Amino acid sequence: MKHFYFFIISVLSVCLLQAQNYKFGKVSKEEVLEKVHPKYKEANAAILFREHRVYYDLNQNTGLSLVTEVHERIKIYNKEGLKWANKTISGYQNGTERDDIGNIKGYTYNIEDGKLVDEKLRNNGIFNEETNKYILKTKFTMPAVTEGSVIEYKYTITSPFTTSIDDVPLQFEIPVKRLEAEIKIPEFFGFRMHYNPKSPIIFPINKSTETFTYRYTQKSRTGQRVVSTDYDQRSIDYLLNNYDFKRNDIPPLKKEMYVDYLQNYAAYLRWELKYTQFPDSPVENYSRTWEGVAKSIYNDSGLKQEVNRTNFFDKDIDKLLSDTKDRTGKLAKIFNYVKNKITWNDFIGFRAESGIKSAYIKGAGNTGDINLMLVSMLRYAGFEANPVLVSTKSHGIPIYPTRNGFNYVIAAVETQDDFVLMDATDKNVAIGELPNRAMNWRGRIIREDGTSDWVNLMPTVKSENITMLNMQFDDDMVLQGKLVRKLNGLHAKKFRDDYAGLAKKDYIPVLEKNKGNIEISDVTISNEKAIGKIIKQSYNFELKNAMEIINEKIYFKPMVFAGLTENPFKGKERNYPIFFDFPSSDSNTINFLIPEGYEVESLPESAIVDLKNGAGVFKFVVALNGKFLRIESSLDLNNIVYSSLDYEGLKNFYSEMVNKHSEAIVLTKS
Amino acid sequence: MRKILILQFLFFHLATTNLLSQDYSILSIAPDLLVNSNAIVRNEAIEVSILAVDKMRIKTKRVVSVLNQNGDQHIQAYDFYDENRKIKDQRVIVYNSRGEVIDKIKQRNFDHRSLHGSGTLFSDNRLSYLNYTIKEYPITIAYESVVETNSTIFIQPWKPIENYNLSVERASYRFVNPNAIPFRFEQNNFQELDFDKNNSDSELFYEVQNISAIEHEVLSPDLSSFLPQVYVALNEFALVGVQGKASNWKELGKWQYDYLLKGKTALPQETVVMINNLTANAPSEREKAEIVYNYVQENTRYISVQLGIGGWEPMHAKDVDELGYGDCKALTNYTKALLESLGIPSYYTVVYGGKKNNIDPEFASMQGNHVILNLPFEGEEVWLECTSQSTPFNYLGDFTDDRKVLKITPEGGEIISTPNYSTEVNLKKSFSEILLNEDGGFSANVTCENSGIPYGDIYGIRNLKEDHQKIYYREKWGHLKELEIAEIVFENDRDSVVFTENLKIKGVKLASKAGNRLLLPLDFLPAKFFSLPRNQARKLPLVIQRGKTYKDVFQYKIPEKFKIESIPDPFSIENEFGKLFFKASITGIDGTQLKVERLLVLKEGNWGSSKYNAYRKFMNQIRSFTNQKAVLVSN
Repeated sequence: MKHFYFFIISVLSVCLLQAQNYKFGKVSKEEVLEKVHPKYKEANAAILFREHRVYYDLNQNTGLSLVTEVHERIKIYNKEGLKWANKTISGYQNGTERDDIGNIKGYTYNIEDGKLVDEKLRNNGIFNEETNKYILKTKFTMPAVTEGSVIEYKYTITSPFTTSIDDVPLQFEIPVKRLEAEIKIPEFFGFRMHYNPKSPIIFPINKSTETFTYRYTQKSRTGQRVVSTDYDQRSIDYLLNNYDFKRNDIPPLKKEMYVDYLQNYAAYLRWELKYTQFPDSPVENYSRTWEGVAKSIYNDSGLKQEVNRTNFFDKDIDKLLSDTKDRTGKLAKIFNYVKNKITWNDFIGFRAESGIKSAYIKGAGNTGDINLMLVSMLRYAGFEANPVLVSTKSHGIPIYPTRNGFNYVIAAVETQDDFVLMDATDKNVAIGELPNRAMNWRGRIIREDGTSDWVNLMPTVKSENITMLNMQFDDDMVLQGKLVRKLNGLHAKKFRDDYAGLAKKDYIPVLEKNKGNIEISDVTISNEKAIGKIIKQSYNFELKNAMEIINEKIYFKPMVFAGLTENPFKGKERNYPIFFDFPSSDSNTINFLIPEGYEVESLPESAIVDLKNGAGVFKFVVALNGKFLRIESSLDLNNIVYSSLDYEGLKNFYSEMVNKHSEAIVLTKS
Repeated sequence: MRKILILQFLFFHLATTNLLSQDYSILSIAPDLLVNSNAIVRNEAIEVSILAVDKMRIKTKRVVSVLNQNGDQHIQAYDFYDENRKIKDQRVIVYNSRGEVIDKIKQRNFDHRSLHGSGTLFSDNRLSYLNYTIKEYPITIAYESVVETNSTIFIQPWKPIENYNLSVERASYRFVNPNAIPFRFEQNNFQELDFDKNNSDSELFYEVQNISAIEHEVLSPDLSSFLPQVYVALNEFALVGVQGKASNWKELGKWQYDYLLKGKTALPQETVVMINNLTANAPSEREKAEIVYNYVQENTRYISVQLGIGGWEPMHAKDVDELGYGDCKALTNYTKALLESLGIPSYYTVVYGGKKNNIDPEFASMQGNHVILNLPFEGEEVWLECTSQSTPFNYLGDFTDDRKVLKITPEGGEIISTPNYSTEVNLKKSFSEILLNEDGGFSANVTCENSGIPYGDIYGIRNLKEDHQKIYYREKWGHLKELEIAEIVFENDRDSVVFTENLKIKGVKLASKAGNRLLLPLDFLPAKFFSLPRNQARKLPLVIQRGKTYKDVFQYKIPEKFKIESIPDPFSIENEFGKLFFKASITGIDGTQLKVERLLVLKEGNWGSSKYNAYRKFMNQIRSFTNQKAVLVSN
C-alpha cells in the first residue's frame, strides 16, 4: 500500500518536471550543475537516463543474432560516486562462439568557466580482457570525472547465443530518474517474462505486437553448362512481440548490512524460453513443468543409467554387508562406505561428472558422482532409494520450472510414510542430515519409473546444545568450575566442521577466547569422529575476576561466560527475511555453591519469554536450595525463517535474554 | 628468534638434486617436520640463469607434501605470464602417501585466468595454474616449470620458508651467470647459522635442510624480518628491453629517473596559468603546495591500470591532466608536475605501502609497491599521498608511515625515512556526559577526538550513509544495550588533522539491578586492550607496531532516588609497556555526580618473547581495573 501512494506521488511529480532531452550527447547544463539528488539527498550518484534495448538482428551472412544496446547517463554527486565512472560489461564465450562488445562511445560533461565542456572517452580508457574460458570483460573508465560531472556512454553487445536473453535491470543501488527498456522478440522465440518475486516493487510493462516484414534476396542457379543465376526478391512476414517499459523516478535499492546478494532483491525482468518455432521447422518445446523438468533430467542427463549401474561394486558391497542383517545397519554401512571411499572434489551438479564407475575407481567425484553412487548401492542392497534434485542456497530459488533451477543432487530412501535424506559429500553429516548448502527451498525426488514429487529439505528436528556448569569460589575467590556439554544433530555437525582434527593444545586457546581471565584444563571430547553420535565435551576452568567485592558484598553474574552479552540484532529495522540454520534448543544449567560465610541478598527473577506464538521460547528459572543455587536458562527456536515483519519481535526477544543473562546476584556476609 | 630455526645449512657446488630418485612417501618425513605443519616442502630447487643482459630463465622444481586442507596454499603450482614473460613448460606429478605416482598433468591441462583483484581496473598479467582436486591427504605434488623473461632487473629472491605451519625438508637456490655479468647479492637472517661461503662470479648456490614449521603467535614480528632470504641483483640489467646499469641506490635511482620519469612533467599551458592563478595569493610555498594538493584531490581520481614498462612507468602529466585519473605513479607525477610549474621542488618516492616494510637501504634493486611525493621545505619534510581524494595535506597514516623509502632525484636515488607517528601523537580523547535514569538506562552526549593514526582509522566514516554509521556505532559499542543514536555530527579538521565525533545516544540497562541497588559500570566506553591467549612457551618476540594514547572522561549524573554507596579506589600502574591511570570521584554539590578519569598508554616497542606473559598480565589488569563498578543504592 505504501508503495502504491508512493507511485501516485511520483507520477504526479513527473508531470511537473521539465522535459529533459535524453538524446545521446544532449546533456544539459542544469544536469551538470545539480548538487544533490532532489529526492534522495544521500545518493552519491544517480542514473539520469538509461535506455536498454534488446532485439534480434537477421543478417543474411551471419544469421540471427541477439543485440543489446545500452545508453546510460549518470550524474556523479560526490567523491563516493566516482566509482560509477568505471564500467564493466561482461560477455560470454564457449570456445567456438563469443559475444561481441562494441560500439562504445562515451563523453564526460563538466562546467568550466560557466560553459559546458565535454571530454571524449578514447581507446586508451577501454580495456578488453579474457577473464577465463567462459567470460569476457570489457571495462572502461570515463575521463575527466570529478564531483558534479555527468557521464554518458553507450555500447552494444551482439550475441550469437540467441536462446538466452539476459536479465533486464530495472533498479540499481542509486536512484534512476528515467528508465526506458524495450525488448522486441520475433515470434520464433516463445519467451515468457518474469518479475523478480523477491523484489518488493513490481513495475508494470506494456506488451504489444506488430508485424514485421523481412526482405531478402535468394540466389538460384540453373543450367548445366551455361549457368544462369536468378536473383529472387523474397520476404517473410512475422510477428514481433514488444515489451515496453518507461518510468520516471525509480528508488534505489536499500542496502542493509548482512545481505550478501543485494541484486537478488532488485527489480528486474527475467526471460524464460518456452519454445522456438522457426519458419518451416517444427515447434521445439522448451516449456516445462517441474514434473517435466525432473523427468528430462532423469532421462537425458544420465541419472537413470548411473543409478542402475551395479556391476563394478557388487562384490565389494556383498562383502561389506555379509554379516549385517538389519536394514538400519546396512544403510549405515553403505552410507559410511561411500563417504569414506569417495572424496568430494568441491564441484556441484546433479550429473555424474566422471561417471560413478570412474569416480569409484578414482576415489573422487562431484556431488552427482557420489550421491548417485549412493543411490545405486542402496538399490543394489534392496532399498527403495532415489535421487533428489536440489537447488543450493547460493543458487537460490528458481522463478519458473527450468533445468537450470536445480544444481545439486542428494539421495533419499523412501520408507512407508517418510523420506530419509542422505548426502555423502559431507563427511560430517549423519543419515537424515544435510549440509547447509543443500538445505534450501525443496527437493524433487525422482522414482525409477520417472515420476517425481516434492520433498522437504529443511530440518524439522531440533538440534540440542546442552551445557551444565558446576562451580564455586575457592579461598582466593577464584571461581573453580567444571563444564559438561552435549551436542547432537546439526550442533554436533557444526562442532565437527569447526574443530574436528584440531590438536588439543590448539583447542584450548579457542575455548579460552572471550571468556575473560580464564584457564581451562583437562579437556575431554568424546565421539568427535563418530558421526551421528552425541558429542560430549568437558573441561575444568579457573576464572579470575569473576566477581566483585564492594563494601563486603559480592556481586556476581552467575551466567559467567555462558551468557549472551550482546543482542545479535542491532539494526533498527529490516527489509529482508532472517534465516537461522536449523531449529535449535540451547540450554545452560548453572549449579553454584554459595561461598562459606555468605548469604544471598538478592537474586535475578525467573522469567519466561515467548516469541511469536511459540516459534521460540526463552526460559530463565532461578532456584535456591540452602547453599545451592541453580539457574536453568534455555532457548528454543522452532522456526528457521522469520519475515522482516517479525524482526522487531525477534530483536526484543533477544534483548530480554541479554538482560536476564547480565543480571547479578548479591551476596552479603552472614 | 633465529635460534628457533634449526637450520642445517649446507653448501654444494655442483650437486644437483634428482627429483625422481627421492622417496616421497609420507613415512619418510622426519617426525620433527610434521610438528605444527600443514605442508612440507620435500624438495624445492630454483635455478635462475642469466642468459644475456635481457634474457633470464627460471627453472622451478617444487615438491610439496600436503597434510591437510590448510596446506593446499603451499602447493604453488602456478606461474605468471604476460607479453614479456613466457611460460615454456609446466607439469605436475602427483604422488599418494606411499610415494606412488597417481597422476600426471601436462601444461595443456593447466587453467588460465587474468590476474588482478577487484581494486585493479586492468592489468595484462595472467596466471597459468593447476586446478586439481585432492582426493585424500596426505598427498605430494611435484611441480616443474620453465619461464623466460626479457626483464633481468627483478631476480627472483630465495625465501625457502615463506609461511607459517610449513616445514622444509630440502630447498636449494642456484643463480647461474655464465657471462659473468657483475652482480650483487645479500643474504639476510643467516647470521646465527653455521655455514660455509664460497661464491664465484658466475654462480651462487644455497641449500637448506630440515627446517621445522613455525607457528603463528599474536603480536609477533613480520615473518620476513627473521626468516632467511637471499637477494640477487645484476649491475647491468634490462627492464622490458630497456637496458641499464646500476650497483647502488644512487645509480639505480638515477636510472629510474632517466628512463622512467624524466620528461613526463610537461603540462598544457592553460593548466600552468590556472594553477599559477589559483596559488597567486598564497604567501608561502607550503601554502601553495597545499592548494595544489587540494586541486589534485578535487580533479582526479585513482584508478589502478598496470601498464607501461612492466607497470613501472608513470603516465605523462598532460594525460592525467586531460583524463583526470591515474594510478599512484601517474597521480604522484602529476602533482609533482603541478608543483614544478610553480618552481616548488618535489620528489617521486617509492615505498612499500601496507604493513611496515622497508626498502632495503643496503641492497639496491627494484623494490616497493607504491609511490608517494616528498617535498623538502626548510625545516620540514612534507609528504603527500596522491591517490586519496580525502587525506589531509601532509598526512600519511598507517599505509606508508615510519619506513625506509627511495627518493628519486635527477641526481640519483636516496634512502630516507617517512615520519613516525608517536605514542603521544596517536591520541584518542573522549568526553561523555551520561545521564542515568532510575531503571539503569541512560542518555549521553559523547565527544571523541581522533588524531595521528586513529584519525586515518575513523575519518572515512563520514562518507557512510547515516544508517550504516549507526550500525557501526551499535557494533563498536555492542555492550550498550538497545543503543539508539539520536544525532551524529562529525568535524573533520584537515588542517590540524583531528576528526571529532559528536553523538547523542541513549540505551537501556547500563546499570544492572541487584536488589535495591544498581551496579554501575565505570567503563562507559571500554578501554582498548588485546585479548591475548595463554602461552607458556612463547617463541617469537612481542611487537607493538604503533603506540597509542587513550584519554577518557565519563561524567555520570545519578538519578535523584539514588545515592552513591561506593566507588572503587583510584588505580595507577606504569611499566615498560605503557601506563594505566584510573580514578573515580564523587562530585557535584550533593554528591549526585560521578566523574571517571581514565588514561591508557600502550607504547610501541619490540620485546623479547619472555615478556609475553608480563604483557598479557598488563592486559588483564587493564580489563579488570577499568571494568570496576560503582554501587548506587536507592534512598
